[in-house]
Amino acid sequence: MISLFPLALGPDEALLQKLIPGCIWIAALLASLLSIEHVFFTDLEDGNIEQLLLNPTPFSLILLGKLAAQWIVTELPLIALTPVLGGLFHLSASAIVALCFSLLVGTPILILIGSLGVALTLGLRQQGVLLGLLILPLVTPVLIFGVNIVQQSQAGFSIAGPLAFLAGLSVLAITLLPWAIAATLRVNLDD
Amino acid sequence: MDTGYALEAKDVSCIRHQRLLFEQLSFQLPAGEGLIIEGPNGSGKSSLLRLLAGLATPASGKICWHGQPIQEKCLAYWEVLHYVGHLNGIKLGLTVKENLQLAACLAGQSDSFHQQEVLSLLQLHSHQQTLAHHLSAGQKRRLALAKLFLFPKTVWILDEPLTALDTPTQVIFFERLTAHLQQGGISILSSHHAIPAHTSMRTLRLAAC
Repeated sequence: MISLFPLALGPDEALLQKLIPGCIWIAALLASLLSIEHVFFTDLEDGNIEQLLLNPTPFSLILLGKLAAQWIVTELPLIALTPVLGGLFHLSASAIVALCFSLLVGTPILILIGSLGVALTLGLRQQGVLLGLLILPLVTPVLIFGVNIVQQSQAGFSIAGPLAFLAGLSVLAITLLPWAIAATLRVNLDD
Repeated sequence: MDTGYALEAKDVSCIRHQRLLFEQLSFQLPAGEGLIIEGPNGSGKSSLLRLLAGLATPASGKICWHGQPIQEKCLAYWEVLHYVGHLNGIKLGLTVKENLQLAACLAGQSDSFHQQEVLSLLQLHSHQQTLAHHLSAGQKRRLALAKLFLFPKTVWILDEPLTALDTPTQVIFFERLTAHLQQGGISILSSHHAIPAHTSMRTLRLAAC
């Protein structure tokens, strides 16, 4: 997908260097959003979600494990490929490092917010549409901060500040959202 | 306050999809006894079993495990509960053996050394490396019930456990159920099949609605 952007935007290298970090971030966003809709699908279908709910282990912990697996499968390949992609577009080494760190820290938030959206819209007929409407406003700040980190690096400023902020958001999401998702799923399956 | 009953339902009512399925339902189940929920389709049997398992909250009334409402002490209740619902609760993408490992993890126990014995009993011994997806409906049901025999827990709540089971397996199931009750366990199940009289289970009939 990233290789389509030069075709669409033209071969101006300076322009591409400015835009590609944003494109990679959008690719990360799409990777999480497009796959998240089915994160609970098989568990719902085969009844395993009831077995998970009726477990002495807190459901939020089980969810954390499940979403970590989701992150590894959907986002980690992109993060691993980022140095290669960055090299293709002649991004500076510091920009690539900034991009990798911002993705590493920010993409878990995408997965968590996405899962909350799925949990909230579980079982609805128009789930896909509502899901997009719910999630996009919430993930936009993550996208903005993530791209901002790379832009700061490209402009020569330190990335410590914005990276710390994104990391703080990430930690907040990882500690609070599994509990919220667990509660939402329980309520939705109560019916 | 422990009333001496293992599981007790007090004036439980259930509303599902804006329909009142039943109200003022009460029963007491001491240790060593079983209950069969009977009723026509749509009378709320599955809903009642889900309420008793703690998956759903009743519209009114409460369900108590040794005197404590299960909504308050749910983790302790779930530690001693086996629930097999209408869906099998097995992962179709895993093999039979892997599914049992998953069940062991969820039950918080290591692989049971009875595993081979139970698998032979349920005629799944030769299918250990088969993906659950490729099993027949009866075999999937047997796999779903396997954890009842592998990991002992006090409460068995089963929704139509005999579905798709052949007669020999049904006999095995009832033998194990009787043994479970004799050891002081309790069981609540719903079934359209006839339950042999010797299992000494009470019946609770839900009216059509």
